[in-house]
Amino acid sequence: MTDSVFTGRLFGPGIAGAGVAAGAAWELTGGLRILPLDPGLGILNAEQPSVTSGGFNAGGLRIAWQDGDASWAFIVDAGDEQARCKATAPPQISEQFNGITRKRNRLERRFKMGGALLSFIILLPLLLIVLFLLNRDRIASWVVQRIPVAHEARLGDMVLAQSRLQMKILDSGPDVDAIRNIGKRLTTGSAHTYRWFVAERSDLNAFAAPGGVVVVFRGLLNSVASSEELAGVLAHEVAHAELRHSLVGMVKGLGLRAAVSMTFGDLSDSVFTDGATRLTELRFSRDAEREADAEGLRLLMAARISPEGMLRFYERLASEKRGSPPAILSTHPASGERLDWLRNEVTKFSGSWQPLQVYPGKGTN
Amino acid sequence: MAMDVIDYEIFGAEMQFVEVELDPGEAAIGEAGAMMYMQDDIQMDTVFGDGSQQTSGFMGKLLGAGKRLLTGESLFTTVFHNEGSGKRRVAFAAPYPGKIIPVDLTEVGGTLICQKDSFLCAAKGVSLGIAFQKKIGTGLFGGEGFIMQKLDGDGMAFIHAGGTLHEKVLVPGETIRVDTGCVVAFQPSVDFDIKYVGKIKSAIFGGEGLFFATLSGPGKVWLQSLPLSRLANRIIMSAPAAGGRSADQSSLLGAGVLGGILGSSDD
Repeated sequence: MTDSVFTGRLFGPGIAGAGVAAGAAWELTGGLRILPLDPGLGILNAEQPSVTSGGFNAGGLRIAWQDGDASWAFIVDAGDEQARCKATAPPQISEQFNGITRKRNRLERRFKMGGALLSFIILLPLLLIVLFLLNRDRIASWVVQRIPVAHEARLGDMVLAQSRLQMKILDSGPDVDAIRNIGKRLTTGSAHTYRWFVAERSDLNAFAAPGGVVVVFRGLLNSVASSEELAGVLAHEVAHAELRHSLVGMVKGLGLRAAVSMTFGDLSDSVFTDGATRLTELRFSRDAEREADAEGLRLLMAARISPEGMLRFYERLASEKRGSPPAILSTHPASGERLDWLRNEVTKFSGSWQPLQVYPGKGTN
Repeated sequence: MAMDVIDYEIFGAEMQFVEVELDPGEAAIGEAGAMMYMQDDIQMDTVFGDGSQQTSGFMGKLLGAGKRLLTGESLFTTVFHNEGSGKRRVAFAAPYPGKIIPVDLTEVGGTLICQKDSFLCAAKGVSLGIAFQKKIGTGLFGGEGFIMQKLDGDGMAFIHAGGTLHEKVLVPGETIRVDTGCVVAFQPSVDFDIKYVGKIKSAIFGGEGLFFATLSGPGKVWLQSLPLSRLANRIIMSAPAAGGRSADQSSLLGAGVLGGILGSSDD
């Protein structure tokens, strides 16, 4: 019967606190015969022992019994010894093993669930960021819809004030009047109150700040060949304002930064200072540019202004690009794709265009 | 695995160090930075991992090192060999006030589960592993976290913890409730669990937290009277630089109490 002997540690009265190594074998009656390695102890018989799991992580097997007032325990470590103990157990004992297996499975299951939950909690902010990135367009437009026009106008004032520090901006004069005349036709029925400005800078550029502030640079005014070309540029900028692109961009950027700083803590500069720099940068995504082209074209149509001017201006930009690229291209990337699209769209439309008032110094087409 | 038999002597009362005597050719492993002094002829060798396996391959070593990182030990272990012809001594010092206890791993059945970061030094051949606490509740509220250290082998190991270390023997069926954080080490036959304090009033105002750690026998357990975090907490509380009070504890009771309530003028 030596193959049915399994080893473990015996604890009980008269035995050192840390227990002693011993062998044991099941009796057919359901008792346990203990064979201590220490010959001084002699063979012990355990009557009606109870089997439970015990020890660290319930990994051990605890066979406990009472002998009068004394409590004894025989611990079998996990592994081969425990398997042998289980395999050789008589029927009345093996029933108790089912309970142990159930208990261990429950422990394992809870541990795995806890682990999964913990990793979920750790990964949750990252998950939120990914979700946000996937839905940022929808979220941004939802938020932007809830920002009143008056607030947007105030933002525009801020941008304008900041721009005034960097460049000389004219509020009035023949150029501003000319721009306003064209702009008025483009912006009839708009929710925004448009304000038109000319910046005294030689860059070929124009920008639209939130809330209907449109600034055209002197360089651009000098380079347009006709009022229709100017109208094309204005239509594009007005479209940016109408579609609230700068707000959308700001909300996206702020949202992303907020999510990132919630996850990783404060990243050197605060969310708001960075958002403010973003506001003055006024860069739009390629998608936004394409949208502004389409909307600008629609505005031109609605105002019965010939879109030929817009097309011609873009074509000229594209050809000038080979030299030193004008500043407008750095903020308004004019790809060949966009030009082709515009050319295609313009040919679709024909009709009686209302000619624009001749802009001083420029011809009409 | 042949273990090296180590003779040792522990010096000091509250801030102890252990001096280990190595026979020629014997070696001990120490926690990096724990060495205090060593005699001539003792060679120091830094190995990646725990130094227990000599030929385990690169991946085995990497795994061992990863485990050490998890338990808060450093990536490298230092092995101290005696290359001389006579007995030589090397000493390891405890990093903070507390006691060093020697544990003969043979006596406890070859394995000891202990608090992470409590290992100080051992005979070469003792392997340091991690014992992952699988009981969620015990891991969260037991005060020892989910990761504990497991010492395997049949040599001497020295562990260290704060305050006074007390060895307790639990007879079969005996259970003691321990303040969380005070459990240092136990035999694997001991059940480590948690128990709710019992009454809402005790849980909130009793100052013992919501849970006790419970240890059920049979087996040996080692408890510490002052976990380092508690000591550190008290030091921070009374450190003027950290906003604590520098008021002398021996001042008149009334003055001390009043000063505490009204805020002393010297901070």
